[in-house]
Amino acid sequence: MRHHRREMLTITVKDGKMDAVNCGVTEGACARVLIDGSWGFASTTSLEKKDVTKIIEDAASLARASKPLKKRRVDLGTVDAYEDSYETPMHKDPAKADKEELVRLAIDVDKEVRSFSPRIVSDNVALRIIDDKLEFLSSEGSRISQRIVRCYGGVMVVAMEKGSIASAYESIGAQCGLEILDETPLEEAGRKAAERADKLASARVAPGGVFPVILENRIVGLLAHEAVGHCSEADLVYGGSFLAGKIGEKVASEKVTLIDDGMFPRGFGTMKYDDEGVPTEKTVIIDKGVCKGYLHSRETACQFNVKPTGNARAWTFEYDPIIRMRNTYIEAGDYSLEELAETIKDGFFLKGGLSGQADFTGEFMFGTQEAVKIRNGEFAESYRGVTISGNAFEVLKNVDAVGKDFLMRIGMCGKEQVNYVGMGGASLRTKLLLGGR
Amino acid sequence: MSLQDRVEYAVRKCEKLGASEAEAYAQKQRVVEIVLERGEIQSERTKIHEGISVRLVKDKKLGFAYTSTLSEKEIEKACEAAFALARASAPNPDWISLPKTAETPTSPEGIFDPKIAELQGTDVLNLAIQAAEAVKEKDKRAAIDDGKFTAATGETAIANTHGISCVEKATVFSCYLVCIAKEMGKASSMVFEYEITRSLGKLSPTQLGEKAAEKAVASLNPKSVPSFTGKVLLDTDPAAAVLAYTITNSVNAENVQRKRSLWAEKIGEEVASPVLNVVDDGLLPFGVYSSAFDDEGVPRRKTEILTKGVLKGFLHNSFTANKANTASTGNAYRQDYTTLPTVLSSNMIIQPGDKTLEQMISEIDKGIIVRRFSGNVRPESGEFSGIAKQASFIENGEVKHALKETMISGNVFEALKNIVAIGSETRATLYRAYVPPTLVDNIKIVSKH
Repeated sequence: MRHHRREMLTITVKDGKMDAVNCGVTEGACARVLIDGSWGFASTTSLEKKDVTKIIEDAASLARASKPLKKRRVDLGTVDAYEDSYETPMHKDPAKADKEELVRLAIDVDKEVRSFSPRIVSDNVALRIIDDKLEFLSSEGSRISQRIVRCYGGVMVVAMEKGSIASAYESIGAQCGLEILDETPLEEAGRKAAERADKLASARVAPGGVFPVILENRIVGLLAHEAVGHCSEADLVYGGSFLAGKIGEKVASEKVTLIDDGMFPRGFGTMKYDDEGVPTEKTVIIDKGVCKGYLHSRETACQFNVKPTGNARAWTFEYDPIIRMRNTYIEAGDYSLEELAETIKDGFFLKGGLSGQADFTGEFMFGTQEAVKIRNGEFAESYRGVTISGNAFEVLKNVDAVGKDFLMRIGMCGKEQVNYVGMGGASLRTKLLLGGR
Repeated sequence: MSLQDRVEYAVRKCEKLGASEAEAYAQKQRVVEIVLERGEIQSERTKIHEGISVRLVKDKKLGFAYTSTLSEKEIEKACEAAFALARASAPNPDWISLPKTAETPTSPEGIFDPKIAELQGTDVLNLAIQAAEAVKEKDKRAAIDDGKFTAATGETAIANTHGISCVEKATVFSCYLVCIAKEMGKASSMVFEYEITRSLGKLSPTQLGEKAAEKAVASLNPKSVPSFTGKVLLDTDPAAAVLAYTITNSVNAENVQRKRSLWAEKIGEEVASPVLNVVDDGLLPFGVYSSAFDDEGVPRRKTEILTKGVLKGFLHNSFTANKANTASTGNAYRQDYTTLPTVLSSNMIIQPGDKTLEQMISEIDKGIIVRRFSGNVRPESGEFSGIAKQASFIENGEVKHALKETMISGNVFEALKNIVAIGSETRATLYRAYVPPTLVDNIKIVSKH
C-alpha cells in the first residue's frame, strides 16, 4: 500500500502579466494486491477507513477476476524489508518560502527577458515547487516514508523579425530546496533563451542530410535517456528491445559509459527507495561500450533471475509502479568544445534539446533549438534547429570523442504514465541525419 | 452534497472571505483501465480521480488553489489558500471579469453512454483481449508491444459569483495498441494505433487490432529512396499532428494576443488552399470533445475558422474575449481541476473531401504516404521536421514499398497553401480534431541514401 500527498506551487508570468499563483494538494492511497501470481490495483482520494478498505477489496477482486485470462504468473521473489525514512537534502526548505518574494522574482525575470531586445514579442516565466510525501507499507514488513522536494523553473521566449517567428526555451532545477535559485539563477536561463530567440528570429533552417555533429550536453542527456535508457528497461528487454540478449556484447564505442543512478546527488529522479520499497542503486548499463545490465522491478528481476535495481516507480497514488529510469547519463570525457570541433570540416553543433521520442529498437528523433555551423573546425553562423534522427546505437558507435562539460538536467518522461527523471551527459562528437531543408 | 452543491458552496465561501469574484470547478471521474504489455495483461486499475479548484480575484489579483478532497473542510481550506495567494500576487491590469452568461447550456446528443458508465474491469479486459486476438489472427508476424484500454465516466460542475452554475456528465472510451512486426530477425517500426469514442457501440477492438497489425506488417522490409521534394499523403493522425495542431495554435486568441501567431492580423485573408474548410464545433453530436459548456461554464458553440482557405475567426475564452472586446467562443480549457483555464479547440473539424485513400494514392505520380509522424512541430513559426513512420513510397499511383529512415520537413503555413486534396475518411484524433487524410505537395523528403 502507498499513501501519497503532493503539494504543488506554480507561479507564472506571461508577457509581464501575472497569471494566478496556483497551489494545491492532491492526496490519496492505493493498494496493489498479488493473488496467485495475478495483480490487482485500486486507488482512492478518500482516506476514510471504509474507502481504504474498499480499495483493498477492489484490488483483490480485480486480481481474482483477471487471473484466468493471464498467461504468466507473477513471482516477486524475496527482498529485505526496510523500516526507514528519507528526505531530500536541502538548505532552503520551500515549505517556509515567502511566496511574495517568489512572485517578485518571476516578475523580475520576465522584465529582464522582455527588455533584452525589441524583437522579443512574448515570454513565459514559470517557477514550480513540488513537495511529495510518500509512505510505503508492505505485507512483507516494510514501512518507508520519504519526502522528495523538487524546485524548477523555465523561460520560454518568442522573437519576431519581419514576419518570421522563432522561439527558445531554457530550464533550471534540481531535487533540492530553493537554494537552486541562487546557484543557477532563473535570470540567466531567461537571458540565454532571449539571446537564442533573438538570434534565430532572422536565421534560416539548417539543411538536411547526414553530417558530423557535436551534440550539446543537454541533447546527450536526452539521447542517454530516450534512445538508450528505454532499451535497457527489463520490461522492454523482455519484449525484444535492441539490448535484449546483448549482455556482454559491444553496443557502443568504447568512449561510452552509460549509467542509471537512483541516488545521483540532486538528481530529479533520485529516491532512496523505489515504489516497491527496494533500495535504489547505481546501475551500469553500458561500460566502455559493453552492455552490462538492465533496469528492473521486483517482477522482472525475478524473471531474469537477478537482483532488483530499484527502478519501479509510480507517478502518483493513481498508478501502479512500472520500470522507469531515475537519473540516466553518459559519463564525461576530457575534450573541450573547441577540441571536439577541431576535426569537423563541414558539420553542426546542435544545441538545446526539445522533446524526443524513441522506439525500443533504438530508432529515435529529437528536436533541437539551434544548429551552429562548424566549418574547418571553427564555429560559424547559427541556423534554426531541426529534428535529428537515427539509431541511437549507431550514433553511439560513431562517437569518437566525449567532452568534459558534464551536465545533469531535469526531465519529464512519459511511458504510459509520466515521471520526473534526471538526464545527463557531456557534449560529444558523432554523425547523424538532420531533417532540415 | 452533489458536485454542483460543492462548487456553489465554494463560491459562497469565497464571497464571505471578501473576494471581488470567484469561480469553482469540480470534477469527479471514475476510470477503469487495462494495461497490456508484451501482449500480456500487465495491470488493471480502477481509480476515482476527483477534486475541486477555486479561482479567486481580489482587486485584479488572482489566486488559485485546489484539493483532491471534496469535504467541506478541505474546500474551505482551498478557498482560504486562494484568497491568501491572491493577496500575495501582483495585479493583472488586463483582468476584466469572470464570464457572465444568461444562456442555459444544453448537452449535445450522444456524449453520455450508460453502457460505458457500467463497464467493470473484466468487461474492459475482454475488449482488450478481443483486440489482442485480432492482432494475432490478422498476421502471425505482428505482436503487441503495449496498449491501454480506458473507460472513463466523468462529471463536471462549475459555478461563479456571476450566477453561472452548471453540471454535466459524459463518458469516453479510449484505447491504443503499440504493435510491431518481425520477420527474419528484423523488426518493423512501431505502430501506434488508437480509437477514441463517446459510445461503446462505435468501438471495434477487432478492427483496432487488425489495423495495427496491418500497418506493422506493411512497414517490414523497408528500402530507402534518394531525397526529393514532392507529394506527401498524410494519413489522419500525422495530418492532425502537423496541420490541425498548427491551425489550432494559430487561431488560439491567447497566442494571437501574445504575438505568437502568424495569423494575428490575417482575418479575411486567404491563408490556406481553397480546398480547406475548418470549423470548431463544441456541440458536434457524439463528438469526443463536445460538451454543453466549456471549462468556465460558457455554452459551447460552432465557430468558423477557415472557409475556402480564408481565415474567419479565432477561439476565445472569457479572458481573451474581454481583452479583445468580443464574446467568448466557449473554448476555455483545463487539463483537469488542478489547472487554470487556457484556450483550446473543442472538436476542430477539417471538413472531409470526397476521395477515398485509395483514390488519392492512385492520383500520385511520385510521392510518399506517412501513417505516423514522430517529430517536432513549432506552431509559432510553422516549422516542422521529423521521421515519417510507417511510410511507403508511391509511384505511378501505386504503393511500391516501405520506406527506411526517411524524414519530412517544411513549413506548415506553406504546406496549408499546398494542399492538393482532402480525403473522405475522417476520424477523431488525439489532437482535439477530426481530420481526414490530406495530400500536400512540395514537402522536402530527406533520406540517408
